[in-house]
Amino acid sequence: MKQNPDYDGPILEIDRLSISFFTRLREIPAVMDFSVSVQPGEAVGLVGESGCGKSTVALGVMQDLGVNGRIVGGTIKFKGRDLAEMSQAELRDIRGNEIAMIYQEPMASLNPAMKIGKQLMEVPILHDGADEQAAYDMALQTVTDVKLPDPARILDAYPHQLSGGQQQRIVIAMALMSKPSLLILDEPTTALDVTVEAGIVELVKELGVKYGTSMLFISHNLGLVLETCDRVCVMYSGEAVEDGAIAEVFDRMRHPYTQALFRSIPLPSANKTARPLVAIPGNFPLPHERPPGCNFGPRCDYFEAGRCDAQPIPMRDAGPGHNSRCVRFEEIDWDAPPEASDKPPAPAPGAPVLKVSNLKKYYEVAANALTGGGEARVVKANETIDFEARESETLAIVGESGCGKSTLAKMLMGLETATDGTITLGNEEIQDKPIEDRGPSQVSDVQMVFQNPFDTLNPSMTVGRQITRALEVFDYGNSDDDRRQRMLQLLDLVKLPREFADRMPRQLSGGQKQRVGIARAFAGDAKIVVADEPVSALDVSVQAAVTDLLMEIQREHKTTLLFISHDLSIVRYLSDRIMVMYLGHVVELGTTEEVFAPPYHPYTEALLSAVPIADTHVVKKQIVLEGDIPSAMNPPPGCPFQTRCRWKEKVPGALCETEVPPMRNFDGHQIKCHLSEEDFASMEPVIQIAAE
Amino acid sequence: MEPLTWTGELGDILDPLLGIATLALAVTTVFAILASFVTPTPRITVNPDGTAAMAEGLPGLVGRAQQNALYALIGTLVAYIVGGIALGWQGAGIIGGMMRAFTPVWLSLVALFAASIWFKRSLGLYGKLFDSTIGMIGFGLVMFWVFTAIFGGVFDMIYTSDPLNQVSGMKNEPPGSPLTEDGGYPFYLLGGDTLARDVFARMVAGSTIVIVIAPFATLFAFMVGITLGLPAGYYGGKLDTVLSFLANLILAFPVILLFYLLVTPEIVQTGLPAYMAMVLFLAPLVFMGVLIWSRYRTQPNRAWLLLALVLTPMALVYLSVINADDTPIDFWPLDFFNIPGGILVVFVSVVFVNSPTVFRIVRGLTLDIKTRDYVAAAQTRGETPWYIMLWEILPNARGPLIVDFCLRIGYTTILLGTLGFFGLGLPPESPDWGSTINEGRKLLSIYPHPAIAPALALLSLVLGLNLLADGLREESLRD
Repeated sequence: MKQNPDYDGPILEIDRLSISFFTRLREIPAVMDFSVSVQPGEAVGLVGESGCGKSTVALGVMQDLGVNGRIVGGTIKFKGRDLAEMSQAELRDIRGNEIAMIYQEPMASLNPAMKIGKQLMEVPILHDGADEQAAYDMALQTVTDVKLPDPARILDAYPHQLSGGQQQRIVIAMALMSKPSLLILDEPTTALDVTVEAGIVELVKELGVKYGTSMLFISHNLGLVLETCDRVCVMYSGEAVEDGAIAEVFDRMRHPYTQALFRSIPLPSANKTARPLVAIPGNFPLPHERPPGCNFGPRCDYFEAGRCDAQPIPMRDAGPGHNSRCVRFEEIDWDAPPEASDKPPAPAPGAPVLKVSNLKKYYEVAANALTGGGEARVVKANETIDFEARESETLAIVGESGCGKSTLAKMLMGLETATDGTITLGNEEIQDKPIEDRGPSQVSDVQMVFQNPFDTLNPSMTVGRQITRALEVFDYGNSDDDRRQRMLQLLDLVKLPREFADRMPRQLSGGQKQRVGIARAFAGDAKIVVADEPVSALDVSVQAAVTDLLMEIQREHKTTLLFISHDLSIVRYLSDRIMVMYLGHVVELGTTEEVFAPPYHPYTEALLSAVPIADTHVVKKQIVLEGDIPSAMNPPPGCPFQTRCRWKEKVPGALCETEVPPMRNFDGHQIKCHLSEEDFASMEPVIQIAAE
Repeated sequence: MEPLTWTGELGDILDPLLGIATLALAVTTVFAILASFVTPTPRITVNPDGTAAMAEGLPGLVGRAQQNALYALIGTLVAYIVGGIALGWQGAGIIGGMMRAFTPVWLSLVALFAASIWFKRSLGLYGKLFDSTIGMIGFGLVMFWVFTAIFGGVFDMIYTSDPLNQVSGMKNEPPGSPLTEDGGYPFYLLGGDTLARDVFARMVAGSTIVIVIAPFATLFAFMVGITLGLPAGYYGGKLDTVLSFLANLILAFPVILLFYLLVTPEIVQTGLPAYMAMVLFLAPLVFMGVLIWSRYRTQPNRAWLLLALVLTPMALVYLSVINADDTPIDFWPLDFFNIPGGILVVFVSVVFVNSPTVFRIVRGLTLDIKTRDYVAAAQTRGETPWYIMLWEILPNARGPLIVDFCLRIGYTTILLGTLGFFGLGLPPESPDWGSTINEGRKLLSIYPHPAIAPALALLSLVLGLNLLADGLREESLRD
């Protein structure tokens, strides 16, 4: 049963909360002096990098800190009552009933052995003592509310039969079943694709209005917080450093960390030559090695010894409803532009080094693995791919999971051979040459940087050994000394100290590992480097540094960079040309300006609209795609995008459903679509920067 | 001379102490279990220095009593050892005699533990073992038998009398009986067996056989399992299907029947065990060869040198091992030594029993690890599949494999006992523990001591290996 139904004060009031974890060696403070309040119907964002304590706050609200976590100071009041004073039974009643939580990984929140309907019905049966029929009706209603097609069928399905986006919608439905007063969302969309993410965000916003639920939205993505929240609280190393209304914090920030954060993410105003990203120097302090005074002090541009490191710094008023934890915020000139860069402009793209024409890759999947019998099915991973990459050019390959970008990368690397078409590297066709048949120089010409920094290095080999191994395989030098010298030079190149050669990967941070990965890829002076989402798993402040490094090396070595990503902000920032892929097809190809301006392919249009941008001046058109990406095993006939396209009605006849559209050429800007010239001309830009 | 009592004069003081300490431990343990049912979850308080403390209550009190009782027990046991070393059989009876006989083992154990604990922060996983009580106890038990094997078998510093020597009048004599002849050690500390041999001496001599054969046989099983498991997991597909099917087939075969088949004269005449050994003992050579070649293939000169250095001695040993008179394989003139047929059987059966399980573990780990980016990175720089399997995948699968290796030595030791018990494997007069237990079993109800001594030894070694594996697993999971 709900408590205090008539209560109308703040739903959640956290006052000077401190949480510590206790280990055998020492106390580790995870959250210090943290205050926030959530009003009824309000959405508050909690932003910060990994390890800043934002999830610990959520666990503290749920009173679920485990054996060694304890609240060591402050109070958490829910609807005016202190949670610390409640009994276990009362807390159980509140969890899931009045406070619901949604986690990052939807599959981990659902019981894989229970049908969706049953799991949803449990909520009202358990908390409100509803009977089975009422519970079923309620489940059906909620599933309809989260906009899942065919709710009755979904209720009868098991979790694994749904896609990731559908699963997350079910988790949201489950959280909403008990009509909670407070919803805590802990990175609810991080595991999902951009267009799916846009759908979920839209849904969460709508439901917040419809049910009047208050929300605590935890995320590392500033753009997402801008789109969903009314107020925001920025955390750094266990402390809230700034809080206030969204517009206030985003446009009139009063804490150096917030400013540094905004300067390190690729906003539309950033530009790789004129206004490059500014990485935050130094590393995130470990919880037990925090500096005295301001935690951000050692990395801050405005640091003043004697004041910033003298005593603990309190939160201070910086305007109406706006607080900052900085002693110097009145003195800092917040409108000063970042220092202009003195970087040389990127060299103009040279001659083409890689030509791909009419490339196809089909996989045959046998129905029966043991005998190879049964009906073989064909997965069309790549269909008629045509493009060219020039020397010292950055070509971005954009698309969501399952679009065939990894298959393309594998064919370039020689891990797979093409079914049809050609890949020309230099003067040689390599589409039928698996990597075993390529010579050392050909292998070293095409190298790769991987996505996950925790996986990219072999954990049981020293850093130096891994780079040296690449040099050995690429036939570099005549002796071990030669190779060691070159390895040390490579460490210099990626700006790592030479002592790192003898370290094990576990002693390195994520960004440092990624640098070693880059050094390894450039070991043989690669002509083409395929970077598969090289920064997406890194924290915002580290992303900028690694991106910068990659571009600097590219400039020096005149390397061609194939940058695979789903993040259009970073792609816009660093690439010269963009290739958009969907379900194995290249649907659009053009320079960055061309792709970001109309005419668009309908999929690019949706993709652009889905990317959250952390800039209050940006006005975006809302285009939310229905449904999920079709399976490559069973692609739709005709245009691959026709099942989700919002322009489909404009094309006469059933052309979209029957015929694969031709590649249309607008002065080098290519779009694969049936739409008429007039329709293309009528398209409006998705992203517009509003005048000041 | 009078027969020795178990603890002699030292026992007059220590025996009552031991009884009290054991009783106290038992009572406090029961109390602790009962207290945990009735008292609520402990409150944790925070000290001003930033550490957390469990509030003292009834459970805290009982817990401390239990701890003190345990210390008292351990103290008494140490007193037996120290007293025994000091007084020998003259003052401390049978126990004293044995403790003094083991003096070099005790000294080495103390030295090893002191050094390891002193340097534990710089010794990696081995050092971390000394953070876990369970692991330390296990390691202590295992090392006790390892040192016994070394000092008894190699340096001959432990013993007492010849394990094969029969002394008339000592048949089935109880522990502590004085020798009827002069010369040598004046007592049979653990009595005599049905052939009037010294049970204690046989137990010590048996440890050498067990400690040498069990790890070696397990190592072979691992080599075979790894060599097959890696490609099965890495390539997958048909190869995996076939190999997994074969592994299941062997697992489904009754092992005892297999052992009997292997020693049946008709089968031996066909040369099957010899051929099997030929294939089996080739595994380490292949393994080492591939290991070296895949690593140094880019520098052929160095690769050939290393291959020659490593493989030549291995090949000589291999040829000597597989060549034996009176078997179908007898072509090598430089046959330095022969492995007794029984030991060959032991190796073949251990490999047969263990390698399918090792195969499955390695295959599973490989399936997991091959999806990592560093494997993809190795592929994209054109490494050979065997380099990836042996240098990228295998080192990262080492954690579970080391733990399984420890457990499996334990199984092998028991299997060795089982084989000995059936009269297979080692020659009948061999003092190894399995055979000794088998021999002692015949008069078990009248004279239990010849069987109990080796049984306890086997138990303590296997227990030690299990605890060691537990400790390793626990510590390897921590940071």
